[in-house]
Amino acid sequence: MIGTPLDVLPYVRGIQLILTGYSGYSKGKRKHTDQIIRDEIIRAGGRVRSHMQNVHDICFQDNDLTSARAAKKCMEECDMLTNDVEKSSTGMDHAFLSGQRSTSGGDLKKLVKHDHDVIEMVTAAVNLANSAEHSLATGEGELLQILRQTTQKMSSCRGFFGARTVILSGLKQKKKK
Amino acid sequence: MADYRWRDEPNIIARMINADKIKTFSTQQVILKPNEAMAMIMDGRIGDILSETVVKNLAGGFGRWFGEQMGVAATDRRLLFAMTGPMDYMVPFEAAMSDGQMAKGHANLRLKIAKDDLPKLLNIFANRAPTLRRDDVAAIIQSELLNKVIQPCVAACNDTEELRGASFQERLEMTAEMEMRNLLSNMGFTLLKAFAITNPTDMELVDRHRARQAAIAAGESVNAEHAAHMFHQQEISALARIEMEVNIARAQAAGRVTVEMESELKELRKQEAHWQAEFKRDKALQDLELEKVQTLHDLDQDKKQTKVDQAMAMFDQVQKKKADRIGQMQDHQNQRMDNQNDAQMKMMEMAKEAGALTSDVMQEFLKQQTAQKAIDGDGTEGGSRYSSSPTPQSQPTTNVDTCCGLVVQPGWSACPKCGKTFA
Repeated sequence: MIGTPLDVLPYVRGIQLILTGYSGYSKGKRKHTDQIIRDEIIRAGGRVRSHMQNVHDICFQDNDLTSARAAKKCMEECDMLTNDVEKSSTGMDHAFLSGQRSTSGGDLKKLVKHDHDVIEMVTAAVNLANSAEHSLATGEGELLQILRQTTQKMSSCRGFFGARTVILSGLKQKKKK
Repeated sequence: MADYRWRDEPNIIARMINADKIKTFSTQQVILKPNEAMAMIMDGRIGDILSETVVKNLAGGFGRWFGEQMGVAATDRRLLFAMTGPMDYMVPFEAAMSDGQMAKGHANLRLKIAKDDLPKLLNIFANRAPTLRRDDVAAIIQSELLNKVIQPCVAACNDTEELRGASFQERLEMTAEMEMRNLLSNMGFTLLKAFAITNPTDMELVDRHRARQAAIAAGESVNAEHAAHMFHQQEISALARIEMEVNIARAQAAGRVTVEMESELKELRKQEAHWQAEFKRDKALQDLELEKVQTLHDLDQDKKQTKVDQAMAMFDQVQKKKADRIGQMQDHQNQRMDNQNDAQMKMMEMAKEAGALTSDVMQEFLKQQTAQKAIDGDGTEGGSRYSSSPTPQSQPTTNVDTCCGLVVQPGWSACPKCGKTFA
């Protein structure tokens, strides 16, 4: 397994619990692995969007425009995440041009951890969206607060997924002091 | 290997092809970009949905022909291609507002086809041509969009201001999100954004025309005002020029007498200065005189005050001496009275011892004592002076010692019964 020594093994196992075909970017399966990770993120984003659609419709029918507006905002955030993921970079297998750079083993290790963290984050957003719909149905909890938390989580997910490009391009981020 | 192009114009958003009808000697492949997806329908079943890949052996070639001949290939192979990126669809509309005006424009819907929803396009292709363009989608959704979204939202607007407001757009988007979901979901589309682009209404055009005409009229009015102002300025300028010329001529005419006038003026100013000096001198003298009189008056006042003070001091001394003298006389009189009382007491005791203390003796004794007291007075200076040198005014009081049957006591000024004054 390329780029997956012992330190990234827990992350690979964690992802494999969700995606059975995940192989940690082993040789010959990089594109497939990348594709299923992105599909999973898009799928989770779609789940959040479905919950938000329900919340939006009910709130709009009940003339609760504040909550409907918040749900609509979250849906837009989901759309943007989906678009980002669909159009994201996958890295190069071989560098043919002088401006290109091949993905190294270190990059793949980072990518495995990053995939795990993104999926964890988007799963948390799905849970929040589910809680929002549950709150709307039962009247428990503060609906608007949960909607905004979901939006915030999706925004964070978008931003965090954007770091994938940095990893693939081999740029090193400055460590936060 | 030749590339197969499923899309040859930008308005095409989806196409379904029958791979069996691609008959070529060379093998065909298709490159799917990130915003393209392809669903494979093999023998009536939906197979994989692919994107971002190169699909080789799509059609043609000896291998595929041989497989078909051997019957190992699928009997029916259809490929459904679609663009998955967001695309804008314009739907024209015309709806009435509550005030009767007609709102015209276009509803812009931003839709996308999710990769997983690609097979849902089969619902469209079941009744349509295998190529789907934007116009086709707009035509499909138009009636539902107009009746469920546009007309209710526009009818809720009372005037054009509301039509242009942000709340209208928000309401339109939310309504579209809710009402259009069923149709779009069936077609495999996802609504991302919806908004209306409204043309100016007839009344707005009238208002615009009115505003333009008003602006033209206002401009002409400003031009006329400006022209009038210019004429006024020219008039003022001409008048000022004429006045200046007249003044110059007048000054030149008056210039001849200027020298004489200046000499007279000098004389007058000299005289004025002289008078001014005299006036100052007289005023200073007058002030000096007044000051002198004031000083004398103050001195006189001081003298008078000194005299008064001296008189008061002398009066105080006299009063003090008088008080001393009265005190001395009082002491002397008291002493004499005490001696006399002692002597009388002794005589009375001797008369009592001798048995000669009769009522006549007592009466005589009291009479003499009274007379003695009358002579002594009340102890004041007047009393003492009266006793020493009686005046004619006090004589009647000494002689008339009774009034209305009462003995007049020293110090009485009037009779307590008849009120007669003793002066």
